[in-house]
Amino acid sequence: MKRRVVLVDDHELFRAGVRGELGERIEIVGEAGSVAEAVPLIRELDPEVVLLDVHLPDGGGEGVIAGVAAERPGVKFLALSVSDAAEDVISVIRAGARGYVTKTISSDELEAAVERVAEGDAVFSPRLAGFVLDAFADGERVGDAELDVLTAREREVLQLIARGYRYKEIAARLHLSVKTVEAHVSSVLRKLQLSSRHELTRWAHERRLV
Amino acid sequence: MTALLFERSREDRVLAGVCGGLAARLGVDATLVRLVFALLALAGGAGILLYFALWVYGGGGRTWAAAALVAAAAAVLLSALGLSTATVIGATFLVAGLAVVLVRGGSLRPGGSLPKLGIALLLVGAVFFLGHNVTSGPFIVPGAIVGALVLVVGPWIWQLTSERAERIRAQERAEVAARIHDSVLQTLALVQRHAGDARRVAALARRQERELRRWLYGSGVAEAASLVDALADAAAEVEEVHGVPIELANAGDVPLDDGVAQLVLAAREAMTNAAKFSGAGEINVYAESAPDDVAVFVRDGGAGFERASIAPDRRGITESIEGRMRRAGGTATVVSTRGQGTEVELRLPRSES
Repeated sequence: MKRRVVLVDDHELFRAGVRGELGERIEIVGEAGSVAEAVPLIRELDPEVVLLDVHLPDGGGEGVIAGVAAERPGVKFLALSVSDAAEDVISVIRAGARGYVTKTISSDELEAAVERVAEGDAVFSPRLAGFVLDAFADGERVGDAELDVLTAREREVLQLIARGYRYKEIAARLHLSVKTVEAHVSSVLRKLQLSSRHELTRWAHERRLV
Repeated sequence: MTALLFERSREDRVLAGVCGGLAARLGVDATLVRLVFALLALAGGAGILLYFALWVYGGGGRTWAAAALVAAAAAVLLSALGLSTATVIGATFLVAGLAVVLVRGGSLRPGGSLPKLGIALLLVGAVFFLGHNVTSGPFIVPGAIVGALVLVVGPWIWQLTSERAERIRAQERAEVAARIHDSVLQTLALVQRHAGDARRVAALARRQERELRRWLYGSGVAEAASLVDALADAAAEVEEVHGVPIELANAGDVPLDDGVAQLVLAAREAMTNAAKFSGAGEINVYAESAPDDVAVFVRDGGAGFERASIAPDRRGITESIEGRMRRAGGTATVVSTRGQGTEVELRLPRSES
């Protein structure tokens, strides 16, 4: 059964491209080009996955997530964009997106990413893995909050993702099962979303100033 | 004619603008320069002679006339300081001899052309100098020792410095060769492959010209100011030339310096190799900046290769990647497995700054 997907992107050309390449393999039930259009549309259609541009003319992708999440908690978001500042990407993830991929991703990989997000797993592109490693770099433990630091294993997995290894290759390299690799990535995503460490906020703030 | 060391000032002048020009050149106040000349003028007229010397020089670079006047000024100054005529004449000859040696060059080593005029002048000077001062005793021994030291140690120091210069030149040559290999030779190879496609060839040539110009006359590797910017530029270039998408990820960034620039060039070469030989549909580049080192990983999931099967005269890996990283003080590790792709890991220690 094909996944029901809503496309939110202000570039008509890009939406047409995704439709053309993935229209056979996923079911694109709706499209929107702004936050104002997207929120009611997603509420109404209740898709499995929303492909969400990080930047929209009337706000960031996090606006869409905030407007939808309470009413439709089952909807999964996958952030997607050309090239973005780290803090914007991290904000969308912290708002609740299950992953981030760049628009240069191949159709096969995008389909796989949609599938993975729909199943409830996290999808980290190499770029997101790099951003997260940076955000958690030199992280001091605040109190005993386990959420504020990455384990050595999680770092290792993220670094290999950043270097372009697929989950299967990472599993083989680290002598783990693919399921375990996925669990590590999901755990990182959870930390990213739940950690209240102010380093993360300060980091984003510093990035913005640079 | 070589450029003048200074020019007479047209705006700031009392007589001929010599002091004004000199002050502008030295970056000091003209009044101070004038004061020095006035004081020197009191010393037997040395300042006046020196002024004329610089006037002559600044008026069109008549170096020899100017030098003669300077020598005369120095002689007058020394006499004014109370030295005997013979000492002054001796010193004048010594200075003139040294000047000739410095200007004309020459070598004391076998095969070098002896600066005969310079040596003759030096000898005459020494005869005057010592002939006068021998009677006063204590000059002769230290003089002889210094002379011997100069004769023995001088050529040796000369040799050392010239060897050092040679080493630096060799290193520069290797860098130039690596650069030419990365850019010009690659482009020429592409031009041959696309010889039938006039537009493509023109585009390649234009690109190469731009790149070469930037390297020869510009800032070198890129206008980018940081590692990640420069890697993005390099990735864009490789993508453009070879048509393979490159995914760039990073954790942290560092400003561009000479070492980092070499790191970027090595990474660029690794990307080019991956694009050309691996057959992979995508190349991943990841840059990680830790407090004590910077690492760049270039990976493809393509064909892979065995090191032994690469012809030794192919300079890509040994010279443009490994040699370059070594010269920059870093390391390069290439891991490749047939059928599973290649990963090049480049590491550069962070400098203290």
